Amino acid sequence: MPIVVEKLSYTYMQNTANAHTALDDISFTVGDSEFIGLIGHTGSGKSTLIQQLNGLMQPTSGRVLVDGYDMNDKKQRAKGRALIGMAFQYPDYQLFDSTVFADVSFGPRNMKLDEAEVKRLAAEALELVGLDPAEMMEKSPFELSGGQKRRAALAGIIAMRPKYLVLDEPMAGLDPGGRRDVLELIARLRAELGCAVIMVSHSMDDIARSAERIIVLNNGRIRMIGTPEQVFADTAELTEIGLDVPKPMQLAAMLKQRGAAVPDGLYTEESFIEWLGRAVKHA
Amino acid sequence: MLNDITLGQYLPGNSAVHRLDPRTKILLMIAYIVAIFLVEKMPAFIIIAAFILAVTLTARIPLNYLLKALKPLRFILPLMFLFNLLLVRKGNLLVDWWIIKIYDEGIKNAFFIVLRLSTLVVGTSLLTLTTTPIALTDGLEKLMAPLKLIKFPVHELAMMMTIALRFIPTLIEEADKIQKAQLARGADFESGNVIKRAKAMLPVLIPLIVNSFRHAGELAMAMESRCYHGGEGRTRMRVLKLQWGDLAAALITGALIAAILLSQRFLF
Amino acid sequence: MDERHSMISVENVKYTYDGAETQALRGVSFDIERGEFVAIVGRNGSGKSTVAKLLNALLIPEEGTVRIDGMDTIDEERTLDIRKKVGVVFQNPDNQIVTTVVEEDVGFGPENLGIPTEQIIRRVHDALEAVDMLSYAKSAPHMLSGGQKQRIAIAGMLAIEPEVLVLDEATAMLDPLGRKKIIDIVNELHSKRGITVIMITQYMEEAVDADRIIVMNDGLIDFTGSPREVFAQGDRLRGIGLDVPVIVGIRDELIAKGLIAPCDVLKAEELAELLCPLLLKN
Repeated sequence: MPIVVEKLSYTYMQNTANAHTALDDISFTVGDSEFIGLIGHTGSGKSTLIQQLNGLMQPTSGRVLVDGYDMNDKKQRAKGRALIGMAFQYPDYQLFDSTVFADVSFGPRNMKLDEAEVKRLAAEALELVGLDPAEMMEKSPFELSGGQKRRAALAGIIAMRPKYLVLDEPMAGLDPGGRRDVLELIARLRAELGCAVIMVSHSMDDIARSAERIIVLNNGRIRMIGTPEQVFADTAELTEIGLDVPKPMQLAAMLKQRGAAVPDGLYTEESFIEWLGRAVKHA
Repeated sequence: MLNDITLGQYLPGNSAVHRLDPRTKILLMIAYIVAIFLVEKMPAFIIIAAFILAVTLTARIPLNYLLKALKPLRFILPLMFLFNLLLVRKGNLLVDWWIIKIYDEGIKNAFFIVLRLSTLVVGTSLLTLTTTPIALTDGLEKLMAPLKLIKFPVHELAMMMTIALRFIPTLIEEADKIQKAQLARGADFESGNVIKRAKAMLPVLIPLIVNSFRHAGELAMAMESRCYHGGEGRTRMRVLKLQWGDLAAALITGALIAAILLSQRFLF
Repeated sequence: MDERHSMISVENVKYTYDGAETQALRGVSFDIERGEFVAIVGRNGSGKSTVAKLLNALLIPEEGTVRIDGMDTIDEERTLDIRKKVGVVFQNPDNQIVTTVVEEDVGFGPENLGIPTEQIIRRVHDALEAVDMLSYAKSAPHMLSGGQKQRIAIAGMLAIEPEVLVLDEATAMLDPLGRKKIIDIVNELHSKRGITVIMITQYMEEAVDADRIIVMNDGLIDFTGSPREVFAQGDRLRGIGLDVPVIVGIRDELIAKGLIAPCDVLKAEELAELLCPLLLKN
């Protein structure tokens, strides 16, 4: 069963002079093990939307169903929330315990599992993100490097075995190597755990590379939704709302301008290079 | 999103009251408190009320803000009233029923204490409603400047207050984010007894404190790189300057005290 | 004696943080001339931020020397003069803003220097104008976006009227729009006012327009060169946790596949120019 978002609207400070509509009539679904990219610039409503998904905020109107659990209902919310793992932008907002291992155990322990099971899940999660469980039993989360902290924070989320993984700019502030690693890690987690991923990112190239479907938010509304081909077909619209276009598409647009016949949908480096190879042979 | 946090309770405006020098306002506030304690006869509170009303109207502050200022006292005030009503055993006995004995002095005291406290709170809230916290800090720093002679760290104290004011919204926002991150990991802040709940706050407090240390370290570095080296030799961008309005305000407050003293002597 | 010296001269500098087991810098040397635009790139923990703090006398080398316009940073008498010359904008916009009103914050530096009030007001006005934030002069910093806060931080530095601006990953926490605005402002300060810029960054795209790139790894300078030279070494960069700009990546793939001849183009426009003749042959 999927996540169903139905006619969701949210207004900050409702009924006051400062009322501000952050989300306006949002509807979409997230299928099992789907990879969704969520893009939009700061203030478009992305953060508000992902907090609605696991019931950290409740909508002004509309609702979110997570595998049928209505997140507006206080009792069902806990069950729905258990299915959603949510990693915030900065691991420093999450890590707190005396050792990394204890920190990763925090989630499973809150699920009221027995101690052996908690340990097993924590150890598995640490292995999955590439940290050594034995070493992490002694290490404080505050001794880790930036990249390791991000891994530890992710382990803390996946130790709860979520069906849906919500990631808020998981690569923010990392160097290119770190970005590559985290992107690969996300792909691996999805493959091994079979979970769906909803990833917020500002990097169009990263989204183009990994997402199966893209949701573009602008001013609290869904401006575009569809496969990367559909969304990136309209570069003008993306540019208009102040978003970048993947670099290969920028290149394609420039070639078009200069009179070359370039097909749509060349949003990844691979597809662009492959097309160019064919086109040059035929020319 | 906590963009709407108002620090203290400052209500932006550009009225004559807003424009007064913060030093004037602080000093006149003290004079106002003195005036309240000079009131010995009930009718003199009318003069105080008229003063409050006049200042509120001049500052263009909606009247319901005065009621809001009293909100924190909504339990204390009735309690104080009852205590004085029931426990003061002086004057003429008016009611004597079961264990309840009410004297006329008790009634008088009860009203007095309530009026005194409310006018005190409402009046001081006018200061914070019309003065930014930073202007208050500036004013205090200037007023306390003579204390530097006895090595009291006036500048350091003012700088600390400024930084605290600056970081309160940042830390509130951070606490909110941390709390959400832990809620998402199944943290439960609501059930259990007091000890259990306090313990449940640790996953929020620890990151908050660790982050605060980082803020402090990085801020200190940024301040140093911007040539900060203590209060010595510092100039200020905003120089406090007394103007005619400040003199007028002083005269008006003086008139308030005079009116209270004179009216109590000759009128009431 | 009329000895000409570089704006910045770093000689064999070593530095270890308190309590750290390994050296953050293990012998770094470079010179930066007046008016240059230099990018310093390197992975997290490569030592590039330590360099930023050394240039501003926030850290003093444990070995070697750092000279700013001839002044040795070890000389405490000159610390303020050095900080007047070199302004640093740090990564986290929240941790650089000291007061609760934008214009007062921008005035914080000049206040510390004891500049007369009328001059502070003029400097603050000019600095806010340069970063296009004049309309926010009376705002509270916590109401601003990250990018706007970072512009305020730059204005705070400009008000000190430095000759060198160091950006220590100043765009790392910003969204693409905020990042672009900062880059535009810095480019303008460099080209119009001739300010020497040292851009420390993890975004390779931001280094493309530099005069020179210094590549750091593990507390040492790995190599340096013009953007064209540095980005010709994709494998070397990837080997130390970095990368080339996406366009350069595409270029390299095309070269590897024999579709285009080896070349050193860096930008989409250049690459498009190069590809057009291939596609429009007949």
